[in-house]
Amino acid sequence: MVTTPELDPVRAADALLEPIASARGLTKVHGSGEAEVHALRGIDVDLARGELTAIMGPSGSGKSTLMHCLAGLDRPTSGTVVVDGLEVSSMSERKLTKLRRTHVGFIFQAFNLVPTLTAAENITLPLDIARRPVDRARFDEVVEAVGLTDRLSHKPAELSGGQQQRVACARALVARPAVVFADEPTGNLDSHASGEVLGFLRRSVDSLDQSVVMVTHDPRAASYAHRVLFLADGLLVAELVAPTQSSVLAALANLDGYSRAGSLAGGQR
Amino acid sequence: MNRIGLRSVRAHAARFIMSVLAVALGVAFVTGTFALREMLSSTFDELVNASSTADAYVRVPGESMDDLYAVGATTGGVPIAATDALAAVDGVESVIPSVTGPATLVGADGTAVRSTQAPSFVMPYYPDDPGMGTLTGRIPAGPDEVVLERHTLDSSGLAIGDTTKLVVLGHVSDVTVVGAADFDAPMAGATIVLADAATVEAAFAPTGVVSTLTVYAQDGVSEDDLVRRLAAVAPAGSEVVSGTTMREELKGQISEQLGFVSTFLLVFALLALFVGAFIIANTFAMSVRQRMREFALLRAVGASPAQAFGSIVVQAAVIGVVGSAVGILGGFGLVTGIGAVFERMDMTLSNRVPLSATTVVVGLLVGTVVSLVAAAVPARRAALVPPVEAMRDEVTVNERSLHRRGWAGLVLLVAGAASLVAAALWPDSGQSGLLLGLGATGLVVGVLVVGPVVVPAVVRTLAAPAVALLRPVGRLARGNVVRNPRRTASTAGALTIGMALVGAAAVLAASTEASVRSVVETEFHVDYVLTAQAPDTIAPEVVDEITGLPGVDGVYGLPRTTVTVAAGTESTTDGVVGLDPAMLGTVMTPQKLVGPVAEVLAGGGAVVDTLTAEARGWQIGDEITLTSATGAHDYTIGGLIRSAGLGAPVAVAPEQLDRLVPPAQQLDTTVSVVAAADVDHTALRQAITEVVAPLYVVSVQDADEFVDGLAAQVDQMLTILYALLGLSVAIAVLGIVNTLAMSVIERTREIGLLRAVGLGRLQLAGTITTESVLTAVCGTAIGLATGVAIASVFPRLFADEGMNTLAVPASSLVAMLVLAVLVGVGAAVWPAVRAARLPVLTAISTE
Repeated sequence: MVTTPELDPVRAADALLEPIASARGLTKVHGSGEAEVHALRGIDVDLARGELTAIMGPSGSGKSTLMHCLAGLDRPTSGTVVVDGLEVSSMSERKLTKLRRTHVGFIFQAFNLVPTLTAAENITLPLDIARRPVDRARFDEVVEAVGLTDRLSHKPAELSGGQQQRVACARALVARPAVVFADEPTGNLDSHASGEVLGFLRRSVDSLDQSVVMVTHDPRAASYAHRVLFLADGLLVAELVAPTQSSVLAALANLDGYSRAGSLAGGQR
Repeated sequence: MNRIGLRSVRAHAARFIMSVLAVALGVAFVTGTFALREMLSSTFDELVNASSTADAYVRVPGESMDDLYAVGATTGGVPIAATDALAAVDGVESVIPSVTGPATLVGADGTAVRSTQAPSFVMPYYPDDPGMGTLTGRIPAGPDEVVLERHTLDSSGLAIGDTTKLVVLGHVSDVTVVGAADFDAPMAGATIVLADAATVEAAFAPTGVVSTLTVYAQDGVSEDDLVRRLAAVAPAGSEVVSGTTMREELKGQISEQLGFVSTFLLVFALLALFVGAFIIANTFAMSVRQRMREFALLRAVGASPAQAFGSIVVQAAVIGVVGSAVGILGGFGLVTGIGAVFERMDMTLSNRVPLSATTVVVGLLVGTVVSLVAAAVPARRAALVPPVEAMRDEVTVNERSLHRRGWAGLVLLVAGAASLVAAALWPDSGQSGLLLGLGATGLVVGVLVVGPVVVPAVVRTLAAPAVALLRPVGRLARGNVVRNPRRTASTAGALTIGMALVGAAAVLAASTEASVRSVVETEFHVDYVLTAQAPDTIAPEVVDEITGLPGVDGVYGLPRTTVTVAAGTESTTDGVVGLDPAMLGTVMTPQKLVGPVAEVLAGGGAVVDTLTAEARGWQIGDEITLTSATGAHDYTIGGLIRSAGLGAPVAVAPEQLDRLVPPAQQLDTTVSVVAAADVDHTALRQAITEVVAPLYVVSVQDADEFVDGLAAQVDQMLTILYALLGLSVAIAVLGIVNTLAMSVIERTREIGLLRAVGLGRLQLAGTITTESVLTAVCGTAIGLATGVAIASVFPRLFADEGMNTLAVPASSLVAMLVLAVLVGVGAAVWPAVRAARLPVLTAISTE
């Protein structure tokens, strides 16, 4: 179910820019012999610069695995991943570690913060690790954008779930990374807090010029994205541009109709 | 439930190995102590049985074992001439006088045949002495022939027929080895030379008087009969005891001495166990915490609190039993090893393996009980978890307030300090030792109890340099150490205990050394000192020869002996020293002089030590009677003296001492030499050394070396203490490794997060290492502070024993802190490597 993208003039220029991350022929196999599990079966995908891209799919579809491979947290069985011009899939662990400090930002579903550090220290953590000076202007900008200016000296135990996620968002963005990967960022939050976090992520793309890739199973979260990619059984099966909650729900319902034999975006090997 | 408990142990075996090791170490030490004591006891039992085989003994009453190898009879004597009368008694096979004295045998390599701590003596070869063992070769037939005991012969490198030197009472003579004697029992490394009877008697019983006559009965005569018959004929002033009585007495005295040693070792064993208990408690606390959800689930499906408690207790019991079993094996292995070491040092110990049922049972019991007790508190917590926690994603462990603990700890600290202060303020009360013990225990336990309250502050201070210099590793490490003060305090507590004792010992040793130095430097002014190790002595001839050397202004010995001192109705055995009045004010400047001491001595009177006089209520003018082998002699106390180097409570002039005991039988281990003003010291020292060299047992030292030598003896004792404390430190290190490993497991997700935001593997390892170092240094710092605090009262308590300065050895304490850092780094290696190897993905994935 592919719709032709309805481009507005501004977006048209952006679409021609090089993708922030791309994968070619990505496969991931777990285990061996009889216990083999094919998490990814050959994925080609481009993630646009300056956009919020959502990756959705039922459990077992490989969406988390795809994000892990794109982010350099996991090594694919075959295929290549390029992030911001760097070939991540063949990098050494040491280089990847360096990458995670300032090039790539992470937001997880839970356990995002170091409990013994204050919110401010958590936000500057990647920069402290990289021994880079913190750009105070950027720090203030990001902190204000998440609305936590008066909670900076609090420890995570003293913050609500939503506030903790917002601190995680701030941390992911303060170093001006090339791309932010978010794994179910609103999975543990109530609707109000979810809205805040998603709103911030969208705003960061629109006004702070970030690129964000988000894995989610929540159609409401996906509706905040510019583009939604659908995975099923390790393959990219559908794509939706300018999603709304109902269009996403409809697309998900349709996914059940796809078997391993059918795929639209991305070849089969 | 039991099955779950046991399965759990199997599944998480690695987790429990640390606890098992901790128990094993503690139990090994306990078992080893018991086994060692039994081995030593049986060695000495065999020794006594082999060397005291007679059926009856005629001896001077009140003789103690200290005189076993001393120079002849001192407090009285049995005349050797009585031998004939006694031998004529019906049923007597033979009567042998007991005459022994110190002697030095020179081995094939030209050095003295000597193993540390074992005596070296010469005894007469009486052919009709049944205790002589089997002889290879022939009986010594003159002053220049000797027979050597088998082990002595072996370790000397000599063979029958060789000629060597024998040093007796300061005389060197050439002797030929004409035979070897095999005794029936292990001699524990003693150097035993058997010489011609007449020669030995002349040397050590010149007045014809000995301390004991040994009587052997003919077959069929009972000991009691023999004793009765002998008593009728025994010389006046002597008593007759049966062989059995004598052996029991000796064994009793030995057992008393061994008792002190084994109590000492046992205290350390219990210390090790106490430290081990810490680790077990910690391990269970952490493992229970991790499995809270599992326990909640069990409770949710209907297990009762008692059953949950029981499942943990079962695990603790398994650890206890397994650990104890390993520990018992370890203990026996340890003792066997010690035996082998002694063997190599030529001190053969008993061959009987000290495997007794009591030891095994005690070891098992102790290890198991300690494990059960240590696991009880975490078990209780697991038993009381509300079942609803099973539904929660994140199990909250509510940290109980530390208030009660803080107050309890404070009370203990204050009580302990008060007890120490009381001991210091009233050092002469009989309770000072008890107060010291209570105070020390109170202080140490108080510090442990108040630990969690104090540790965060201490860690923050210690971590300041790390936080400033190692970013962000320092701050992360500090946060991790401080976040669970109970756990950190518990882990560090093991080190605290060991280091408190080390600190106290170091201060004690340094203060002793400083006091000795200060006493010697203020009270003694000598150029050279000749020293010998008792029971070796510096013979008067040596003193005369050195006096004759050019450049020597004066030579003063301090010969002494033991006599019976009677004052009024009381009579005790005490030492008497021959003090030359010319020494006062020149060589010796005593701390205190009451009365005209120099004149009294010169006039033939006696002076008494001030402390002894105070203790016994003696005053100037009192009459005392000194009874020795030559009879009873009356003296009037003419003055009082206090000097650390005197060595005995009663002093008379050397000529008076000669009346009490022949010079050949006096013991002189310190001779002072005063040189002339403008003498060439190198030449003089050379000359003195040449005089004493052939004697092998006399050393020459200048004033500084003398003081250093005394200090070195103190250091030797300290080394043994450090070795024992090293055990508790080893256990403490295990504890740190354990805590770190488990906290890495607990923090898996957090570690994943840190790696995901770019923390390198090296930085992660650095964080864990810093945590370990902080914990170790924190425990050490607190422990050392406590130890120094305890030791600060020592000078007041031991002032009478000569300790007058408090010296805190800063360099030793700093060395301990450095050691703590190294310990921290070492303990962190395995957990840090494990953490660094964690794949990022595994860490951040849920579950």
